[in-house]
Amino acid sequence: MKIARLPLATLETSVVPSRARRKPKSYWALRIGIGILAFYIAVALLSLVWTPYDPLTPGIGDGYDAPSLAFPLGTDRLGADMLSRLMAGARYDLGISLTAVAIALTVGTTIGTFAGYYGGKVDIAILRGVEIFQAFPGLLFAMLVVQAVGAGITNVILVLSFVGIPDYLRLARAEIHAKRHWQYAEAARMVGNPPWRVAFRHLLPNSVGPVLAFTSINAAFSALVTASLGFLGLGLGPNTPEWGSMIARGQDGVMTGQWWVSFFPGLAIMGLTGSFYLLGDALSDITDPRRRQ
Amino acid sequence: MSGVLLEVENYSGAFWSPTNELVPVLHQVSYRLKTGAMTAVVGETGSGKSLVALSIFGIQPAAFVCTSGRILYRDTDLLGIDEKEMRSLRGAEISMVFQDARAALNPVFTVGRQLADVYQLQHGGGRSAAMAKAIEALRQVSIPEPERRARQYPHEFSGGMAQRAMIAMAALTCRPSLLILDEPTTGLDVTIQSDIMELIVELSRQRGLTTCLITHDLGVVAEICDEVVVMNAGRVVETGTTEAIFTAPTETYTRRLLAASQLLEAAA
Repeated sequence: MKIARLPLATLETSVVPSRARRKPKSYWALRIGIGILAFYIAVALLSLVWTPYDPLTPGIGDGYDAPSLAFPLGTDRLGADMLSRLMAGARYDLGISLTAVAIALTVGTTIGTFAGYYGGKVDIAILRGVEIFQAFPGLLFAMLVVQAVGAGITNVILVLSFVGIPDYLRLARAEIHAKRHWQYAEAARMVGNPPWRVAFRHLLPNSVGPVLAFTSINAAFSALVTASLGFLGLGLGPNTPEWGSMIARGQDGVMTGQWWVSFFPGLAIMGLTGSFYLLGDALSDITDPRRRQ
Repeated sequence: MSGVLLEVENYSGAFWSPTNELVPVLHQVSYRLKTGAMTAVVGETGSGKSLVALSIFGIQPAAFVCTSGRILYRDTDLLGIDEKEMRSLRGAEISMVFQDARAALNPVFTVGRQLADVYQLQHGGGRSAAMAKAIEALRQVSIPEPERRARQYPHEFSGGMAQRAMIAMAALTCRPSLLILDEPTTGLDVTIQSDIMELIVELSRQRGLTTCLITHDLGVVAEICDEVVVMNAGRVVETGTTEAIFTAPTETYTRRLLAASQLLEAAA
């Protein structure tokens, strides 16, 4: 039988008009976000092999040295080099927040996908439990738990990821629950996909956008909580070159004119959270196939 | 064309109403799909024709309960088997083409990848071999430039193209014995509709498929189907060969249905 070719050929020229308008914005945000983050990662890696001075040794300068050629970002109250400490701090702040986010993302999304796909009593039980947990403010909870279980990088990471899990769980659960009876899910079941494959291979990828967008917010939040714990002197050792604790160490100097001790760590935190936000915004646009070329 | 591949026997079912009462919607539905034949299930919207088809797959809505009857596929009662056995039949033995193909394709994967995934799921093998099969399947359903089309996402496909891809998935990538088409051409242009129907006929002849076409387009039924099942309000009104139904309908409802589609004159 002959198949009419004409209408088929003309169908290929359909163009989504909004695509051209959205694209430059996404890539602009993406490039800056990736650029800043790559710079932070590079600095963190570099600090493993090289810093101008030893970040943990006080008394290299006199204390409260203003930025100069010898100390580009000045020295803190104890005379430790700010640039070296800032570089080493990237390791802590970046490492802690990224690891915590990765754990929360994996665990929360997995549980949420199961709860959303299967529904029923287990789903309700999980949701109620999560809601009770979420009644506590995240930072307060992190402070209490760190104080209770003791300091240390591992504990801080675990507490931070634990604070993040409920959000991922609820997000993934809502997404999967809403989409599980969409036709492509039925179609996937129809060709013999087992339930876990329908949930994780077919439904979850459709929720990547919202989950990624939230991941960026969560990463920024985690970085802030890490710094907050450091500022309050919880979690890590007192001489750890973590940005939050560096701000705390410099806060006396702010009133007497030694602004650089608190300013540069603050700038570093702002740059990190900012890059997370930019990245998340761009990624949620890009993962939408309708906006992809 | 002698054997019976699927037999629906006295199938009755009901929906749970919001007030927790059972509202019967299917009444003693019985029909047979003869091996190798193309059977049409016709009826107006809400007559229960799709509900029976969904029951064959075990994906009826959650509020629906079967109250009696059997659905026999090669002497297996599909209502009695568990989820795992049902899954092994889906795709491999029975597959389905949905009404809205663009909604039935996953929006985040390329069409080629989706076909390749199904191929791997059903037949195993490597990724690149599966992709080659997917492109081959797209070519067989007359999609122009299948290599390029395979790399596109469902939103870049028109309704007719997407339906071709779905047919490729349901009839070629899966290798079923029974293909159920749930209003495959509804919502498409008239010219595209006839192209799609020609494709379906061609593929089922070629592969010796037993097809069940759920539709309310009687024009298509008169042209291509061997057998007709007429349903109304959850009951089977009349069954018979297409010729018999269109030339000598015995039931009033069938006659009214034919009159409504203005085919009675043409067929008589």
